[in-house]
Amino acid sequence: MALLNRQLGWFLTHVSRAVNQRNFSITGVCNAIQKQTCVRVIDNSPIGNTPYHRPPKCIHVYNKTGVGKVGDKILLAIKGEKRKAIIVGHKMPGPAMTPRFDSNNVVLIEDNGNPIGTRIKVPIPSLLRKREGEFSKLLAIAQNFV
Amino acid sequence: MAAACRRLLELPRVNVVLTGACSIVCLNAKDGEPAQFKPPPKPVIVDKLNPEVMERRFLSPEFIPPRQRTSPFKFFIERRDMIQRRKVLNIPEFYVGSILSVTTADPYAGGKKSKFVGICIQRPGKGLSATFVLRNVIEGQGVEIRYELYNPLIQEIKVLKLEKRLDDDLTYVRDALPEYSTVDVNMMPVPYSLTDEVPVNKLKVIMKPKPWLKRWERPRFKIQGIRFDLCLTEENMEKAKKWDMPWIEFDMLKEYDTSELEKRIWEEVNRELKK
Amino acid sequence: MRLWGLLGRSGVRLLLARSQGAPAQTVAAAAAGGNRGRWCFTVRHINDATWWHEHLSEENTQFLKKLTAEEYKAQTENKLCPLKDEPWPLHPWEPGSRRVGLVALKLGMMTLWTKDGKSHFVTLLQVQDCHVIKYKTKEDNNGKAPALLVGGKNGSSFHRDESSMEMFREAGVPPKQKVTTFNVSENAIIKPGTPLYAAHFRPGQCVDVTAKTIGKGFQGVMKRWGFKGQPASHGQTKTHRRPGAISNTRVAKVFKGKKMPGQLGNWYMTAKGLKVWRIDVKHNVIYVNGSVPGHRNCLVKVGDSRLHCYGDDHYKNLPFPTYFADGEEKLPDDLYDEDIFQFTEPSITYA
Repeated sequence: MALLNRQLGWFLTHVSRAVNQRNFSITGVCNAIQKQTCVRVIDNSPIGNTPYHRPPKCIHVYNKTGVGKVGDKILLAIKGEKRKAIIVGHKMPGPAMTPRFDSNNVVLIEDNGNPIGTRIKVPIPSLLRKREGEFSKLLAIAQNFV
Repeated sequence: MAAACRRLLELPRVNVVLTGACSIVCLNAKDGEPAQFKPPPKPVIVDKLNPEVMERRFLSPEFIPPRQRTSPFKFFIERRDMIQRRKVLNIPEFYVGSILSVTTADPYAGGKKSKFVGICIQRPGKGLSATFVLRNVIEGQGVEIRYELYNPLIQEIKVLKLEKRLDDDLTYVRDALPEYSTVDVNMMPVPYSLTDEVPVNKLKVIMKPKPWLKRWERPRFKIQGIRFDLCLTEENMEKAKKWDMPWIEFDMLKEYDTSELEKRIWEEVNRELKK
Repeated sequence: MRLWGLLGRSGVRLLLARSQGAPAQTVAAAAAGGNRGRWCFTVRHINDATWWHEHLSEENTQFLKKLTAEEYKAQTENKLCPLKDEPWPLHPWEPGSRRVGLVALKLGMMTLWTKDGKSHFVTLLQVQDCHVIKYKTKEDNNGKAPALLVGGKNGSSFHRDESSMEMFREAGVPPKQKVTTFNVSENAIIKPGTPLYAAHFRPGQCVDVTAKTIGKGFQGVMKRWGFKGQPASHGQTKTHRRPGAISNTRVAKVFKGKKMPGQLGNWYMTAKGLKVWRIDVKHNVIYVNGSVPGHRNCLVKVGDSRLHCYGDDHYKNLPFPTYFADGEEKLPDDLYDEDIFQFTEPSITYA
């Protein structure tokens, strides 16, 4: 039963993602990542990929402006837990020649900065390579860059 | 009779073959590869049959100055730099809806170069700061990049498929099903002719369910390329018509006829480029 | 009839709203007689109507225009070789010297890229018919430093009082649309009538640009000072964009300089320390980093930056007292800052 449930959940998340990148109805279109922004977890960590009745939501941005851009660390409320994450792409257009994504993408990390998942299939901006030393483990599990 | 019939049949065939050959020659010349193509005796016949075959006149839209009180001298100064850049980098003819591949210098990418393939959905901006937006869906993730046309970081702009769409602005494909903005990254270039009219792809896209980025059914967008019948009811379309302003097209103050200006600028640009 | 002449001369025209074709004397009589119920006068000030509009025929106007254009051209060409034309003694640069500036026309903005691929938005300033008009001695000016009056962009000689026309006549240059004052040091004075060019400035140096900002009219505190206003709802009665309290009962007065509604824009402002990226010597265009005050096609005052962060070394290698077109220095068509990407170069690649 549990297996069936999990399979159903996996199926549901992927189908909904294929049809519409908003997994759940979210409040409006939030371009910038700030407090209360719903985000999409793109790594393959179990906590980010099992369905839950509430989408992962940003509850704090660790910078001075309160508006998260690529490379910023945020705090997520996900499945009733608090987890930290790195922003790897957002809906808000940045400067020219940098990619803009259709969803606000994050990668979950542990408190020491290591990513929880083991693989990132979705493309991430190559701009992150500028901070190679900080994100070396994150960049190592990424497969696509734009 | 039979001979006459055969001649009639032959004529169009000759035409087709020769135009195809012509386009291949042009494409090769465009790519800058020396053509190893030996001209057959047939092109002489082409000239006789169709003497008015001329290269398509095309002026990139960022050359046309916007309607404002800026001195024309400013646009001349800008145009000079644009022409200089075009002498160094081949910026091909392309339209909204064409599929492009752009190679840029990127200090962070492997090989110090990054390539992006996508469909052009917008061409905003005038003059040196003109831009174009490429969109693609990679691994189910929609990605867009706004390139500056005259940015010195751009190494190469290649047209993979030259075509127009029904609209001048394809921003609505963000709300369409992802297959409409999905382009194969390793797509091979489709040959196109430099003389014929640019083909118009009359594709109409199917949208995702609402909410959309904008209410595309409103008359001010003048969208032709959406299957509204699949996503909206008759009642919805009637409601959207409430915002129609049919008198706007008769507003003579908003008329901006650029045909004369375009002609003058095209001649200037062509003259300078050939120098 | 004398009345008509006077009215015409002062640029005022009387238009008859109802009685078309009625003799003028009747109108005057009616006006004098106080029979105002029947006649309706419209007094309109026409700005382009001067005394000569009233008395000159169309051909004469065209002739005058042609004549003035030729005269302006002759005057300008007369001044093209200031070094041969008995110049005032030229002094070398010393620490603490202050050069004259220019009057330029703001053309608009465009993009330039540096060699590392970063884009910079720049403003184009065109130097048009810029001449030194007058030299004011230290005593005449403010008792501290002598001054040079610089004018830019030829203008009409009408609507000008005799004293200012006298000034232009003495310098031997056409009348200018804008004249500004530059306080200079004693060793940087130039003979009136000397033309000034964009090559007066060099790429890499910093300039201050002064101009009148775009007028926004009388504005409230939210737009003028960025106040927050009041909420749209929750029991607000006619209070949404108002300033709120302007003082308290204890001090029982309003402090001077309190931010209040009033005129916004249309005043002089200076953008300081703007870097010059590029100079177009041929067309006399200065490419200045960032935005400058004023609308498109307005005349701005450009001078060496007065910010203290740029020491004397910053101005040491500039042409002193100005750049002379007939001097020994031969310049290419375009001068670039060393960081600027030139469009004739190949694309930037990273090894």
